[in-house]
Amino acid sequence: MKKNRALLLGIGNPLLTDDGIGIAVARELAKRRLPGIDIEEATASGIEVMEMMLDYEKVVVVDAIMMPDREPGEIMRLEEKDFSHTVHGSSPHGVNISTAIALGRQTSPERMPKEIVFIAMQAEDVSTFGERQTKKVARKMPELVDAVVREMQ
Amino acid sequence: MAGPMIFDQKVKTDKKRITIDPVTRLEGHGKIDIFLDEKGDCKNAYWQVPELRGFERFCIGRHVGELPVLTNRLCGVCPAAHHLASARALDAVFSAEPTPTAHKLRELFYMGQYVHSHIAHFYALAAPDFVLGPAAPANKRNILGVVEAVGVPIGAEVIKHRHYGQKVQEIIGGRATHPVFGIPGGVSKPITEEERAEMETMAKSCVEFGKFTLKLFNDVVLANKDYMGLITNGKSFYQETNYMGLVDENDKINFYRGKVKVVSPDGKELAKFEPKDYLKYIAEHVEPWTYMKMPIFKPIGWKGLVDGAASGIYRVGPLGRLNVAKGFTTPLAQAAYENMVKTVRSLGVTGPVHHTLAYHWARVIELQYAAEKMLELASDKTITSTDVRGKIGEPKEGVGIVEAPRGTLIHHYKSDKDGICTGINMVVATTNNNAAIAHEIKKNAMALIKDGMVSPGLLNIIEMGFRCYDPCNSCGTHILPDGSRALEVRILDSDGNVKQTLKNF
Repeated sequence: MKKNRALLLGIGNPLLTDDGIGIAVARELAKRRLPGIDIEEATASGIEVMEMMLDYEKVVVVDAIMMPDREPGEIMRLEEKDFSHTVHGSSPHGVNISTAIALGRQTSPERMPKEIVFIAMQAEDVSTFGERQTKKVARKMPELVDAVVREMQ
Repeated sequence: MAGPMIFDQKVKTDKKRITIDPVTRLEGHGKIDIFLDEKGDCKNAYWQVPELRGFERFCIGRHVGELPVLTNRLCGVCPAAHHLASARALDAVFSAEPTPTAHKLRELFYMGQYVHSHIAHFYALAAPDFVLGPAAPANKRNILGVVEAVGVPIGAEVIKHRHYGQKVQEIIGGRATHPVFGIPGGVSKPITEEERAEMETMAKSCVEFGKFTLKLFNDVVLANKDYMGLITNGKSFYQETNYMGLVDENDKINFYRGKVKVVSPDGKELAKFEPKDYLKYIAEHVEPWTYMKMPIFKPIGWKGLVDGAASGIYRVGPLGRLNVAKGFTTPLAQAAYENMVKTVRSLGVTGPVHHTLAYHWARVIELQYAAEKMLELASDKTITSTDVRGKIGEPKEGVGIVEAPRGTLIHHYKSDKDGICTGINMVVATTNNNAAIAHEIKKNAMALIKDGMVSPGLLNIIEMGFRCYDPCNSCGTHILPDGSRALEVRILDSDGNVKQTLKNF
């Protein structure tokens, strides 16, 4: 399959309430069939996510985030440099996303995207098993989808 | 490349409590508290897992056919193991015997999981301690530092073969991370000849990479007298426990199916049982200071956090498997196993290997086995048969057991006549090792911290103890016995007084 130039990657666990934000956005955008964009979802992190990014010019990652002093539903735009430290997002045996991206740039620099952007939404609950988002987060989902579409254009 | 930094300068501390939180290079959130006495010697240490997830409750009322794709969401580390344990449990629930091709496809898929998982653990998690040393600066003690030290071409090989493991899982399982192919009595789809040939090519390369990894382990770890001293000193990183693992009819290691064998600290067979009988042999002990249960060998029972033949604590995982079995069914892994046995016998070890750091050694031998078995199965042209589903009967109760990369994994389901799940119990690998990990940390802290002398590298050596087990806490704390129970963690001082209460949810 020939790849498009850009990838939208929704990350999360669809069974952990707000952690499913990224997957929900990916599924919504898959329905819209945006030209020139591949859409993938992953319940993973680390090296596996880095491998999914290979050979794209631009990758937009959509995920839930838990930051101090932020309101559930708040949307943030982050870049690689903002991810120098993260406790979570270290799923496949503790290699977090920033380490995995650095590893990609170290071992396959020519295949890594020029630009990697993270669109994240503040989650309220990422630990209760459930397949729906919390109310505050669910209300903001259309805004999140719009923000991702703008970033991909 | 420069040699590893094993010991760094110690700094005297006047603190009475040292906390490592969160611990690094470990899935899920863990916490270690170390208590010092007035002299500054380590008096006590607790390994805590302050998470509770309630997954089993989530599964009640679902159709049991959904469980292979629900339980594999316990975490992102070993979904393949949960998926297969679940499929094995469903075989039992529906009294369904998979066809020979279905067994082969499941096992080939699982070799992909082992190749991927053991490469990730050894190179990303264990190698920083060995290639760079536990006293190397923290910001270098990761896979980036390892690649810097061993060279980018080797780093690229690591990534490539880890990916091959993932690719095999994707071809057979439908997805690389959260597979969807396991069903009662077989698998949901056959593979094509092109897919078989592609996997055979990847498997050949993995066998060579297995050889390379064994050589690297030999050159960097076994040939280094400081590391060998750490591995074999018999004081730290040493516990005389029972061991558990799956074996085939010839007592050889089998990751996918077989009987569960348990041996004593002196290597005597204590039990060999069918998965359905696990409750006769395994009991789950609960300690008040951690959410993770502590399974024990039931015929002996809980005798406290102690090792020895009188204790019911057992260990699982790569070293546990090597200690219960008589080696492997593939030639290169068997040769590496025999070399390990010869080496430890020359050091005076007569029974099982109790040296915890040898887990890493066992893991690289298992990587070789998984690659060889992958090649054996992928070279079998009959594996493309379309006869991939056996007949299924009426649903009832069933148990499935596989060896996850980090140890014995048990799924036990109860179903009503309509296939609705009415009961579920999972005993996961990290839970099986929980008591041993807690004991390991306590023992190492007591051996390594004296007179308040503490250094960052020393603390990392203590962390090295649990890292051997490749623990996955998000899998290990999945039980919600009562939804109204308060979700708190207690921190206790050396006298057992509660000093602090943490709420994690």
